[in-house]
This record gives sequence, C-alpha cells and structure tokens, in this order.
Amino acid sequence: MGKKQNGRIELVYGALDMLILQTLRWGPAHGHGIAKSIERTSDDALKVDHGSLYPALQRLLQEKWITAGWGVSENKQRAKYYRLTPAGRRKLAAETSRWERFVEAITGVLKPTVEEGER
Amino acid sequence: MSARREFSKLEQVVRHGRPTGDLEEEIRTHLEMQEQENREAGMTPEEAHYSAQRQFGNVTRAMERSREAWSWRFLEVLLQDLRFGARQLRNNKSFAAVAVLTFALGIGATTAVFSVVHGVLLQPLPYGEPDRLVDLRETEVAPGNYPLSGPDYIDWQAQNRTLAGSALYEWPETMNASNGGEPVTATVVHAQANLFRVLGVRPQAGRDFSTGEDAEGRNQVAILSYGFWQRHFGGASVLGQGMILNGKTYTIVGVMPRWFRFLMPADLWTPLDMGPKTMGARGDHSFNAVARLKPGVTLSAARADLLGISQRLEKQYPDQNEKTYAVLRPLDDVLTGGWKTPLLILLGAVVLVLLVACVNVANLQLARASTRHREMAVRASLGAGRGRLLRQMLTESVLLALAGAALGVAFAYWCVQLLQSVKSLPIPLVKPIGVDGTVLLFAIGVSVLAGVLFGLAPALQFSERSLNAELHAGTQSVLSAGHGRQMLRDGLVVVEIALTLALLAGAGLLLRSFAHLRNSETGVDAHNVLTTSFNLPEATYPDQTARRRFYDQLLARVTASPAVAAAAVSSEIPMRGGSNGYIKVDGATDPALANQLVGWNFITPDYFRVLRIPLLKGRGLTATDAEQAAVNTQKLDELFKKAQGSGNVQVPPDITFVAVISQATERTFWKGQDAVGRTYEWNGAKVTVVGVAGDVKEYGLRAKIMPQAYMPLPVVLTYGGGGAHLTLKTRIAPEAVIPTLRREAKALDATLAPDRLQTLDEVIAEDTQDVSFQAFLLGAFAALALVLAAIGLYGVMAYLVNQRTREIGIRMALGAEPGNVLSLVMLRGTRLTLLGMVIGAAAAFGLGRAMSSVLYGVKASDPLTFACVALLLAAVALAASLIPGCRAMKVDPIIALRYD
Repeated sequence: MGKKQNGRIELVYGALDMLILQTLRWGPAHGHGIAKSIERTSDDALKVDHGSLYPALQRLLQEKWITAGWGVSENKQRAKYYRLTPAGRRKLAAETSRWERFVEAITGVLKPTVEEGER
Repeated sequence: MSARREFSKLEQVVRHGRPTGDLEEEIRTHLEMQEQENREAGMTPEEAHYSAQRQFGNVTRAMERSREAWSWRFLEVLLQDLRFGARQLRNNKSFAAVAVLTFALGIGATTAVFSVVHGVLLQPLPYGEPDRLVDLRETEVAPGNYPLSGPDYIDWQAQNRTLAGSALYEWPETMNASNGGEPVTATVVHAQANLFRVLGVRPQAGRDFSTGEDAEGRNQVAILSYGFWQRHFGGASVLGQGMILNGKTYTIVGVMPRWFRFLMPADLWTPLDMGPKTMGARGDHSFNAVARLKPGVTLSAARADLLGISQRLEKQYPDQNEKTYAVLRPLDDVLTGGWKTPLLILLGAVVLVLLVACVNVANLQLARASTRHREMAVRASLGAGRGRLLRQMLTESVLLALAGAALGVAFAYWCVQLLQSVKSLPIPLVKPIGVDGTVLLFAIGVSVLAGVLFGLAPALQFSERSLNAELHAGTQSVLSAGHGRQMLRDGLVVVEIALTLALLAGAGLLLRSFAHLRNSETGVDAHNVLTTSFNLPEATYPDQTARRRFYDQLLARVTASPAVAAAAVSSEIPMRGGSNGYIKVDGATDPALANQLVGWNFITPDYFRVLRIPLLKGRGLTATDAEQAAVNTQKLDELFKKAQGSGNVQVPPDITFVAVISQATERTFWKGQDAVGRTYEWNGAKVTVVGVAGDVKEYGLRAKIMPQAYMPLPVVLTYGGGGAHLTLKTRIAPEAVIPTLRREAKALDATLAPDRLQTLDEVIAEDTQDVSFQAFLLGAFAALALVLAAIGLYGVMAYLVNQRTREIGIRMALGAEPGNVLSLVMLRGTRLTLLGMVIGAAAAFGLGRAMSSVLYGVKASDPLTFACVALLLAAVALAASLIPGCRAMKVDPIIALRYD
C-alpha cells in the first residue's frame, strides 16, 4: 500500500487507539461505525485500514478501556457494539493532554526553524 | 439506545473473557455494512463487494492479530516483568540474597511443620476404608479406659451384629530372634490371624495369616516388617524359611509393605493363640483390639450393640465384670488425638515465624523502594500505569518468595529426612510423613500469598501523587521525604517485635515445663543406674525354678564385677508403667477403695538399694521372703490350674505373702495409720505389709503418684513368664558397664539378647521426649524470630540514620552533643520496642492460654517467664538500635552537609 494516497495520512501505531476512544466518547458504536466516524471527523484525511481496527479493539478491550456487547444496528443487523469504560475515559483524558504537550513541544522545536527561514 | 438493552446477561459475562469466537461474525457484518454503503453510493453489487474487501484488507490477518492480542499479551507482560524483576534482583544481589534466605527459612520451617501436621492429622489412615475402623477398650470399676479381657472379647466377637470383623492383639513382646547366628532382639506383636484383613492391608510378599492359624500348635508362622526384613535378611527371599524366636522355630510366610505401621512399632507379627489358656481369666485386662464396622453401621449403633453385650456379661459375671463396658473410638482419634493440640501449636508458632520473615522482607522492600522511588517516578511519567507498576513490584516479590520457597522446600525436605532418621520420634508415625504433592502445593501457595501480601505494602506506597512529588523534589530534602513510608516501616517493626515476644513467651513456657518435669521428684536416684531387660523363652525356661536360677546366677555374675555396687531384678522399672489390680484391705469400709487400682512390682531384695528408694517404715523384702513366696506361688498356681473355669478358688490360710507398700498406698488404704503389720487380700491370699517405701513415679513424670505394692520376684516368674528388668547401680559411668553385662549374659545363655540397654537417666528423658521435642522446636522458632526481628529493627534504625544524616549533621553543626544524637536514635528504637512488647504481651498471653494443655507445672501467665523473655527481647532490641545509634554519633557535619 502506498505511503500517501490522495493526501491521506497513515496513522502511527497507538494513535488509532486514541482515535477509537475519542470516537466512543459520543456513545457505543460498532466496528464499521467507528471506522466511518474516524474517516468522517477527519474529513477523510486520516486513513483507517478497516482490518487494523479489530486488533486495536481487542487491545483496548483487554486494557478494560472499552467493553463490548451484541446489539442490533440501524439496519436491523446483529452487530457488536463497543462502549467506553470510566477507565477508558480517564485514559483518553490523559492521552489527550499528553498529546497536546507533545504537539506543543514539537511545534516549539519546529517554529524557530520556520522563523529563521523567513528572516 | 435500544441495542444496549439487548445486551444479554451471558454476554456481560463473556465480554470479560476472550470474545474472539464471534470475531468472524463481526467482521462479516462489517463487510456487509460497507458493501451496502458502497451500493448506496452507486456501485454495482460486484464492485461494492470487492471494494469493501479492499478497504478492509486481509481478513485472515486481521483475525489472527486480534486473537494474538488476547493470547500472548498476558504472558508477554508476565515474561517482561519476570525478566525485569530478575535483572533488578541480579543488580541488587545482597538484597535478593537476604530476602530469599529469609523467605526460605520461614517457608522451609512452615513447610516442614506442615508436612508433619499433614502426615499426622490431615491424612486418612493408610488402611482400607479407614473411617470404619475402631479401637476397642473396656471400662473397669476404676475410672478410665482399659485393655480388654480375652474372654470378654471372645463373647463380643461371637455376639455382635454391627462389626464386619475384629482382631485381638497383644502389647509388643521383646523376643530373642536368631537365624542360627548371634541372637537379636525383635519386637513381636502376637495378633489374631485376621488383623491385616480387618485393617484392609496385605503383605507385599508372601501371604497373610490364614484363618485358624491363631491356635496353639499352628501359630508358628511369622510375617516380617519391611525394616526387619531389610536389616536382618538384606531383603533376600525369605518366604518359607525358618527363624528361631525364643527357642521355637517359626516359618516366615510374608513381608509387610515398607509404609505399613500399626500403633506400636513391630519387627514382626505372629498369630496369637486364641485358646482359653492365652485368653486368661475374665477379670484380667491385657489385650488390645481393632474392629471394622459393617458398611453403613454408625459408630453409635456399634456402641449400643456392644454395650448391650457388655451389660449382659456384667449380669452373668458380677464378680469380674462390674462396670465393665465396651468403649469404641475411631481408630484415627486414638492414634492422633493426643497430638492434635501440640502439633497445631507448633504450626501456629511456625506461621508466626513466617509472618516475621515476611514482615522483614517487606521492610527490606520498603527500604529498597525508597531508593527506587525515582526510578518508579520516571517509569510512571513514561506512561506506565499505576497498576502496571504495582504488578511489576508484585512480580518481583513473588519471584523472591518463590525462590525462597524452592530453597525452603529443600530445607523442609532435609528437616523431614532428619525427623525420620530420629530413632524414637515422639510423634505417631502410622501415616507416612513426607514432602508430597499436597505439601508442595501448600508451600507454593504460602509463598505466593506471602509474596503478594508483603509485596503489596511497598507497592502501594507508589501513589501517583507521591510519584509526582518525587520527580519534582530533585534532591533528597533536608527532613527526608516519605513520612508515611517511615510510619509503615515502624509499624512493621512493631508487629515483628510483638510476634517475637509471643513466640519467645511460648517457648519459654514450654522450656519451663520441661525444666519443671526434669527436676520433678521421681522418687529414685537415677545417677549411675543401668537398666536392661530379658525375655526368657518358655522352651528353655519352662518354670519358675529355671527362671529363678537364671536371674539368681545373672545377679551373682554382675555383682561380682567391681564396677557394680548393687543389682536387682524387677518386673517393672520407673516411668514405664506396668500391671496393676485391686486389693481388699481387711477391715476397710470406704467403698471408694474398691475402685482404687494398685500397681504391682515384683522385685529382688536389692531393688530399693539400687534405686535408692527410701524405706520409711518397717523392713524391706528378704531372701527368706522370696523363698516363701516361691513356694506359696507354686501352690497357688496349682490351685488355680485345678480350678480352671470353675470360678472361685478357696485359698487355704497357710498360703500367705509379704509386701512392701508405697507411702501413697498407706495413705490411701490406711488413711494415715501405720500399715506395717496390717494385712490385705490379694488374689484370695492374705498379704502382710512388712514395710513402707517412698513413692516412685512409675507411670511417668506427668502421671499422678499411684499406690504401689512390692512383692518378691518369684511370684511373677511363676505366672507371668520369663520377662524381667535388670537394674544395676554402678560405681563408674553406667555405659562403661555394658560390655561386662553383655559378656556375663552371654556366658549364661548365648541365645539371649539383653534388650533396651539404657541408663535410667535415658529412660526418664524418654518420658519427657515429647515436651523436649516441642520445647526444642518452639525454642528454635523463637530464636529464628528473634534474629529476624533484630535484623528488622536494625534495618529500620540504620535506614533512619541514613535518611537523616543531613539533619544530624545540621544538628551537630548547631552544637548538638553526640549523646543527644544517640538518644535521638535510641529513643525511637526503644519506643518501637516497647510498643511491640505491649502488643506482644497480649498476644503471648493468648498463645499461653492456647498452650495450657501442654504446659506442666507453670501457669500460662507465668510472670517469671514473661519477665525473662521481655528482658531478653529488650536487650536484643537495644543492641540492634545501638549500632546505628553509634554510627549517627560519628556523623561528620562537614561531610553530611556536603551530602547529595
């Protein structure tokens, strides 16, 4: 698979976990729904390989950040729904702030270079 | 959402497990959804299908990876933790060594004691359906349970409807066994032919006794114990071979399995002659019996059945069977009943030791934790969750505990081997004792529990808040961080000291009991006394005359040696108990006396001299008394033989005896009056009291003094067979006389082997063996706990000094004297010790109460014991905090302030 397709960014390992947690903040969702939601909210900029979603979901289940149970989809299909646990909510908060610090730091590092170039 | 309501209960459960079974369905649904979406976006069905597939990627791989997430993660994390833990421990070898060793001692001791408890108390008897086995005894007029009368047993056996089978057996007899060569002594149990069938065991080689072999003339067959077979036949094939027991040839028909033991230790078994001659008179109680309940019959039903028979016999034989009723007890209780309390006390004590050990390791962990705090803080900030850190800490401490357990089990194995090699272990060994699967499981369980429990305390210290604070506090603060940590460590030391005090007090109480027992009055002077016993075979010593000749010659030969000051032959020796019965004092009216048992001892005149038993009144027994007794017993014996079965025998008035009685007999039967010259009736014959001797502990140091009567030896040589004890008062160390004794005995009769050659001191020590065993073990546990507690206290104080080096430096720079610094440390140590001792005193009191049934001569709250152990503990604790205290005094302010 190509590195970049139509300006889409491939996800770094671990980031998918965060995105899933973030998606589930709005309520339970099934796998397909999560994939669509990630793509939609990032204006299709983030590419989710649907297949990689499932191992990630299992990982999150194991950490007890999400739970799963069978339900019925909008189209009356039997589907498995995932839901955020309180631990998952805490994790998401921690990860978000960590991410923000990280971005801040990286931005801080990158900025001077840009300024230098402008001068 | 409606979907949420449909979460079924089952799936609530399943979702915590491994929900991968339905992964396939989930992915299929996903693909269908995408397909539908694609169709709605205008794709052809075929296009929609392939596009969905493409978007999803490799389905199989996705499933594989999903499953892997479950199956390997736990193991991976564990391995990671283990690897990391092992590396941590390797980097800190001295810590690891101390911790593992401490755990090993604690777990090893606990496992060793548990293997004994498991072997003795928890395991069922190693016989077939042991729940149905019962021990049979009888009551008598005197209170208590007694051995059985042969004729009573025969009647029970014939009339009961509740027993599937029963077997009579005698107390072990020491016999001279030979295989043509040098004779050895063998402990022989004569038993009814069906003994092994009743127990549900079979010989490992050869055959069992067959029905009918328990009759005179047919009973010269023997089954060997495994040990005897190995020792004397080297394990060679022996079936069908003959061996000589007390002059008669027996055919070896079987060998019992190695594990087989039954109540009393035995080298071999032969069938008991069940004929009337051996069964004896109805009033004689000298047999043991074991029975098996019929399937489905309860113990109480069998009791009622046998009680009915006993009551009928009581009516039928009012003279011999007054108040003589059957007593049935589960065989297991009889075997282990007396050991329950002492063993549970030992187990309790060793668990306390384990706790002290664990507390010590926890304390070590805490000390180490404070140095690892920054490491933990860094790891936490790098994203390790608190749970993950906790798990890492726990993995480490369980790793330590398991390493300790491995070493500990080896230690326990060695202890159990040692126990088994002890010749006369004062615990019942009917059931095999060993480190088996259950014991191993126990050890592993205990160590994991210990690891988790005491790894948790230090691990919980890492609250996230303190971790953050730690990271920010770049350097060690002046007043040292971790006040809470220090509190916890102090608390642990207090617990350690409390536990140790309780253990010390328990050991002290037992030691005092033991000392009390050993110093208690035995009534004899055991110094330089050698004892042994002989069993003259009936074949070569058929009657009283032959037996008397042997013992007279033996006495003459040994007293000829200049090393021997005096020698005597007696039917009993102190501590070992003996036969007893009832007397009728002429003119006595107290009905209670009819229930009073009197012990018999039949002696040669010098018995009192050999044992230095004081003659308080009248005279001792003389050679003339012996002559008269020999003649009269002969007459009496013939009378009884003639009257066999016809009940009462009229003893002519010219058959009389003389006896020396003990002080207790005089006090009990003559109520303080002078008994010398008074008479009583014994076996229908008149006995005149010629003297009163001091009381002797015939039944052991802990038994009450019992009335005792001494009569001349020939009496017992007539009707009691050829067994008797020889006692020598020696002028040199008694052990040095053993060769002389052996030589003289051999010169008299080479087929005889002197049995149980012991000094009287050893005989007395044997009587207190159980107490000394318990006192020794508890003492060892207490010593172990004391050492551990001292290390624990030292550790805490040393750590304190270390942590406060800067503070101490500042204080000293500001003018504090070294004495002030010392008292700063010592005060703290003393405070912890005192607090621990107050709590420990309460625990010790509780332990003492639990132990009261095994204490002798001391109260559970014995103030002297408590004061002594408290002093000991205080001294050790003081020493343990003095060392760090002195180090604190030597702190150089300059260096201390430059610290960091």
